[in-house]
Amino acid sequence: MKDRAVAAGTALPRADGPGKICGTEKYAADYYHEDMLWAGVKNSDHAHALIEAIDVSGALLIPGVHAVLTHKDVKGTNRVGVPESDQPVLADYKVCYKGDPVALIMAESRELIEKAAAAIKVEYQPLPPVFDPEQALLPDAPVLHENRADKNLLLNGTIERGKGALALEECAFIVEGEFHLPAQEHAYLETETGVAWLNEDGVLELVASTQTPFRDRLELAHALGLPADQIRIKAPYLGGGFGGKDGITVQGLLGLAALHSAGRPVKMWNSREQSFLASSKRHPAHMHYRLGCRQDGSLHALSCRIVLDSGAYASLGGPVLALALEHAAGVYRMENVHIEGFCVYTNNPISGAFRGFGAPQVLAALEQMVDMLADKLGMDPLEFRLKNAVNRGDELGSGVLMSRSTGITACLQAMQQHPLWIDRRQWEKDAPPFKRRAVGIAAGLQGTGYGPVVADVANAKLELLLDGRFRIYSGVADMGQGNNPTNVQIAGEIMGQPADAFELLQPDTGRSLPSGSSSASRTTYSFGNALQGACLLLKDRILARVGQMGMGIYKEDLLLAPGRVRHIPSGKDIPLTFIAAAMSESERVSINTFTAPVARHKDIVDPAVAAAGFPHLVFSFACHLARIEIDELTGEVTVCDYLACTDGGRVLNPQLYEQQIQGGIVQGIGYALWEDFKVSAGEVQSTNLSTYIIPGSLDVPDIISLPVETVEDTGPFGMKGIGEIGINLPYPAIANAVARATGKRIKTGPLSAERVWQVLQAGEEQ
Amino acid sequence: MLIKFYLNGDLKEVNSDPDKRAVDLLREDLGLTGTKEGCGEGECGACSILVDGVSKLSCLMLAAQLDGHNITTIEGLADGEKLHPVQAAFVDRGAVQCGFCSPGMAIAALDLLRRNPHPQRIEIRQGLSGNLCRCTGYQKIVDAVEAAALEMGDKL
Amino acid sequence: MKQVLFPSNMEELWNMWRDNPGAGLMAGGTDLLVKLRSKRIDLKTIICLEKINELQQIHTDGSQISIGAMASHQQLLDNQVVKSRLECLHQAVAVLGSPPIRHMGTIGGNICTASPAGDTLPPLYVLEAKLELASPTGSRLVPIKEFIYGPGKTVLAPMEMIKQLIIELPAPGVKTGYYKVGQRKSLAISVCSLAVYLQQAADGSIAEARLAWGSVGPTVMRFPEVEALLQGRKILLDLLKECGQAVAGKVKPITDLRAGANYRRQLAASLLMRLLPD
Repeated sequence: MKDRAVAAGTALPRADGPGKICGTEKYAADYYHEDMLWAGVKNSDHAHALIEAIDVSGALLIPGVHAVLTHKDVKGTNRVGVPESDQPVLADYKVCYKGDPVALIMAESRELIEKAAAAIKVEYQPLPPVFDPEQALLPDAPVLHENRADKNLLLNGTIERGKGALALEECAFIVEGEFHLPAQEHAYLETETGVAWLNEDGVLELVASTQTPFRDRLELAHALGLPADQIRIKAPYLGGGFGGKDGITVQGLLGLAALHSAGRPVKMWNSREQSFLASSKRHPAHMHYRLGCRQDGSLHALSCRIVLDSGAYASLGGPVLALALEHAAGVYRMENVHIEGFCVYTNNPISGAFRGFGAPQVLAALEQMVDMLADKLGMDPLEFRLKNAVNRGDELGSGVLMSRSTGITACLQAMQQHPLWIDRRQWEKDAPPFKRRAVGIAAGLQGTGYGPVVADVANAKLELLLDGRFRIYSGVADMGQGNNPTNVQIAGEIMGQPADAFELLQPDTGRSLPSGSSSASRTTYSFGNALQGACLLLKDRILARVGQMGMGIYKEDLLLAPGRVRHIPSGKDIPLTFIAAAMSESERVSINTFTAPVARHKDIVDPAVAAAGFPHLVFSFACHLARIEIDELTGEVTVCDYLACTDGGRVLNPQLYEQQIQGGIVQGIGYALWEDFKVSAGEVQSTNLSTYIIPGSLDVPDIISLPVETVEDTGPFGMKGIGEIGINLPYPAIANAVARATGKRIKTGPLSAERVWQVLQAGEEQ
Repeated sequence: MLIKFYLNGDLKEVNSDPDKRAVDLLREDLGLTGTKEGCGEGECGACSILVDGVSKLSCLMLAAQLDGHNITTIEGLADGEKLHPVQAAFVDRGAVQCGFCSPGMAIAALDLLRRNPHPQRIEIRQGLSGNLCRCTGYQKIVDAVEAAALEMGDKL
Repeated sequence: MKQVLFPSNMEELWNMWRDNPGAGLMAGGTDLLVKLRSKRIDLKTIICLEKINELQQIHTDGSQISIGAMASHQQLLDNQVVKSRLECLHQAVAVLGSPPIRHMGTIGGNICTASPAGDTLPPLYVLEAKLELASPTGSRLVPIKEFIYGPGKTVLAPMEMIKQLIIELPAPGVKTGYYKVGQRKSLAISVCSLAVYLQQAADGSIAEARLAWGSVGPTVMRFPEVEALLQGRKILLDLLKECGQAVAGKVKPITDLRAGANYRRQLAASLLMRLLPD
């Protein structure tokens, strides 16, 4: 054991690093069993159709095909989805998009699954499909889910403040814009995967790549008709998630398969193509914005309409819309707003959670409007933002009160003093031949946690082991962001132990305690708070026990140190092994629950939107700067330099902090410049990583990350979540730079070379 | 067919269908799951291995192509508990997040450093340009390879 | 299960091929295995050429270089003659695919795939490479532009293969180059590409120009009329614009997922501006 305690605030290398870089850490994809079957699906051939008959006999004739299951084999509700349980494990009476699974095949090899799928005959009665969310809202549009009173409208919300849109008439300057943003694919490297089997006690066990093991367990119980205590789910480290594994992906199919595999373990691992087809995406968005300010540059009125395409099922579309509404007015004060939003079912692939959760879309639109308005007014865009930004005690345009740490002004001031901003004009002037240069900025925020209705609860469990080490029972899955290694840092700081004094258990519904999803910038905030409490409890107990061993009654005399407790006055050390042996098993375990505080101010939105998570209490803030160069010959945009000033509260670990900022930004640069999940008449066109372009190592610059530290006193060690904020601003920062360089606004994302080239040629707005 | 090759220094003799993909032979038959698969068609680099010291994509190789060669997978880099300098740099520099691209990245880095022991940052980015990462934004991976190059000098 | 055969010399190859008439040849596998995976083709037997040493050789002999069909892109990248005398080809392989793809993929494979977007093709067109096609009964020499006649279409006869490429080294002073527009900087299929071969006279005017575009038609395209426009003139902005206009009227691009036809057409013209001296 290294003899030095870890400290909060230091760049402690992640505990998961060595196992991952040596290839020994086992992901869900890495589980293979003797005598294992492979499972896979037959997808729908139609975007919208009734299923008349499914004939699996041809598939069953193929040697090596073990079984083919249909909806008839599902004993439960056959529906998954939270909060709206509307997605079938296996399509029953109808299909709603081309990725709907119609049959589940189990076979000895993956090759046989493809063969079997081809041999299954499904008779359909095609229904008229609808692919455009605006059309899906029309009264005579085909309806996807007939039982819904609101037909294709999943959720609608309106925020009306002050005089609403009418106040635009009082503005000295108004700008208007309409924006279309495409679906974004998560493109995590590990596609959806898991293994499942029935153990000797008849319990269904799953090892799955999931952000939500505890919620999955309840969902599977309902969908498959099993008692929840007959299901156990383990979530090893994920090979990426970003929201795409926030809920059921293959778990329902895997569970179903294991119930029909004659005791054999079943493995499922989506091909990249299947992943692109069937996994959820960032909601495509259509947004119409009008923004106005007074003569002095104070923002006065906003009117906007946001339409999100939910695709065939709800997934987390409701909460995504609620968050979009909440973030639609950005970081600014303004008294008069009309924000309305719709999340709409269509026969397109499913949309759902994706890092930023609705904020990247609305901030892409709003932050371009802000630049346009500053230009119209003739004010420096950074000054304009500073003038209108909220401080603690102010209300956002969306009406949300800023009652916690609010560092956006500090972020903007940090940017204002940075050489990349100060030297921008000269840099632009120095553009080489056939190149245009420009600098763009954007500001934004991201709420933390689930909002006021769904309790954001984490349950931490910590155990002192007999060997004097500690075991942390992580309750939140780690999709790569490092929340579980961070648990070591939090516990190490409080317990005065080195990193290797901790054994880190990954979430396991059989051993750890439910602590919510790995999402919403909440993992370290919520679980860290819970763990902090569990640590203090156990530390107290350990010190009390030492006191009982004759070391006096003054806890101040005792120091919990690496592997021991020191009695300071005497200089005596008592090994933790010794203390552990003296404690009962239940005494060595501490459990602590943390429930995140919520915003409890007067109603701004109707209860359905509040239930979907409006409003938040704690926000992270950021402003970004992008220096870009456009090749006039080709329209290609190169991001040359990038600066992010982020208020994520106190920095718990500078290295992990930078990881989140850099990674989020590069994913956001991808969203801005290349990522375009193309679907035509319900058919996915971007079927693989060769046609869906995510950035490679040569496509992005080094990023400068400046933490602007506020102290968030509800967060562990003063921190706030930063998992999402990074992705919210590259799009508008780059779009603002492109607009400066070309004199034109491109209204449809991404800002591909072809689109940039077109505006360079056109000499008029697209 | 019987396939004979050196795997991480040890002679292996495996019976395999010759047209099985090399990545499947390694992962399924030999249990070396450190080599990942992200796309199955050479677009992501997660399945990279060293064949006679040269980085290749095991999803686009047939098992039979391993025959007679010296194969290094990510599991062959560390010396017991002691990480290879490239691996150690990845850990120290925070280059590992979800980690699913990391083994392939380390293999790409080794190939690069063998060809060019003292690369500039842009050369490192070129060397890693066949490996997609969705978590890190690449910066800390470049930092790690830069640090490993310094650490190793000309020792590779 | 497919049979996989590894001939170690040409004679073994012919014998194996004769015994397995439907067999497919595998060079680097970076295209073939992708196609097999997606079921675009099916093969019972794969004959893998990687153990035939003579196919991997690169020889320079006086004024010409011969490149074995199984030479990998990385071999070309590392070859000093390619680097110094065939810059356009060197630049093309430098941006082809990615490092591991370059370690595996071969020039013969890239030619046989016969994609209009193949990165080695425009350089080979301006270098007027000749391909030695071999079969059990002998060999023939075919210019590259006659070898490919459509996307994925080549004049290869049954049981015929590319054995090597033969390229006349450009005279000293000839400048060649390759310019590519892709959707990103690596792992990118070209949206439009241009290879150039320029020989300048003593007065700086163009003595000979060869230009070949990729991804703007069913095959790589050269236009003698456009090349003639450059003849005897100096590389100036107006001349390149004039050539660009002519080219834009001649290319036959398609719209696909990666780019629109019109964008490709205009890129074909604007890439000519890269010829302006810095």
